[in-house]
Amino acid sequence: MNEAEKTSRPPGVAVPWEEKVKQLPPMTGDKELVERVWKETDSLGYLYIYFCLLAF
Amino acid sequence: MATDTEQLYQQRLTRYTTAMRNEKPDRIPIRPFVAEFIARYAGFTCQEVAHDYEKAFEATRKCAAEFDWDATVPNMVFVWTGLTQAISMKYYAIPGIHLPADRAFQYLEPPENSAWMSETDYDAFIEDPTGYLYNVWLPRVAEDVVPVGEPSTMRNNLSFVKGGMAMMQYFAGLDRQSGRLRTESGTVAAISGILKAPFDIIADKLRGYKGLCMDLFRQPDKVIAACEAIAPHLLHVATMTADPLRQVPVGLWMHRGCMPFLSPEQFEKFYWPTLKWILCGLHSRGIQTLFYAEGEWNPNLKYIAELPDLSIVYHVDRGDIEEVHRAVGHKFCLSGGIPNDVLAFGTPDDVRAVCKKVIDAVARDGGYIMDASAIMQDDTRPENLRAMTDFTREYGQY
Repeated sequence: MNEAEKTSRPPGVAVPWEEKVKQLPPMTGDKELVERVWKETDSLGYLYIYFCLLAF
Repeated sequence: MATDTEQLYQQRLTRYTTAMRNEKPDRIPIRPFVAEFIARYAGFTCQEVAHDYEKAFEATRKCAAEFDWDATVPNMVFVWTGLTQAISMKYYAIPGIHLPADRAFQYLEPPENSAWMSETDYDAFIEDPTGYLYNVWLPRVAEDVVPVGEPSTMRNNLSFVKGGMAMMQYFAGLDRQSGRLRTESGTVAAISGILKAPFDIIADKLRGYKGLCMDLFRQPDKVIAACEAIAPHLLHVATMTADPLRQVPVGLWMHRGCMPFLSPEQFEKFYWPTLKWILCGLHSRGIQTLFYAEGEWNPNLKYIAELPDLSIVYHVDRGDIEEVHRAVGHKFCLSGGIPNDVLAFGTPDDVRAVCKKVIDAVARDGGYIMDASAIMQDDTRPENLRAMTDFTREYGQY
């Protein structure tokens, strides 16, 4: 198995940024900031379900 | 001789990590994995340590300080049943609720005809494991979570709020617990992170063991594809939760890979490829894995020998530890091998005798960590664990 292989929803992602950004109006400020913070908080949602699966 | 607690901690950390590099420290590290034993020792019930994690933490600190171990797990009663109640998980029998308060919590295997993942769900799981877990698995295993498409409820919404906040509270508590072990008794937190083998997680939490056994014959390619689909996620979670300093290993408890659950041929085909891929992936990131081989694993030693040197610490349960040492002792540090039945039903002299036998056989050149064969529950006698600890401290000097 190649580690670079992509699943439809890659590891670390619950709701992809590409999907989220479609919901937003054209951004007036720092788009990269919004993207980075979305990914950081989204990863918590990802970890939640895997912690349920693996630890609880 | 260490003169203060931090100095003692550093001395123990060096001892522990030196052994895990398969080298010879000043003496054999003592790293018992103690679960419900802590309740027995500290005067709590199994209900108290399972449902109130602060009591489990307190009991663990008491054991660490009074036995003077080098390392231990911050909470080996690993499932906080208060959290599983908060999110209404169906698959645990909880002491004080479903079981007598003095019994350890139990995992309930699903009935074969109503597994958490049905035999026809493989394609959906393989296509999108994370989506499947949220949309299909969680509503089946958590009573309050409403299936997708049905009207939501307050209890559904509360399940995610309570579950998320309780989980953060518990993990923050574990961080504090590791810090208190360090500062109060100079004890090293023995492991960090979360990992399971892909096959085990499909058996334990999705198909059930019986269901998965049927699948090995009825739809073997789907089983392999499911293991491949979940493996990148398990590698990711293990990496995210590993010790950032790369000092202590990720814990990996394996249930279904040993004899007689799987034959060596089935192990090679179904269990090993994706687990090996994960272990090599962790190794390439500088992360060592505690390979906790529960049961009899010696028929699989030739596969384990394929792993990179030092990628794992090999924990021996029911396998012949001398055979393990001959096969992979040159590649990996070993731990365990002290039979739990001797710790539960033997005398301190019996314990000293088996400890001497194991040390003489596998620890003469370092690369060994003293521990029981399997996690110690409330049948381990305190005087026997004391004998294992004190004997190793004296006889295990290099």
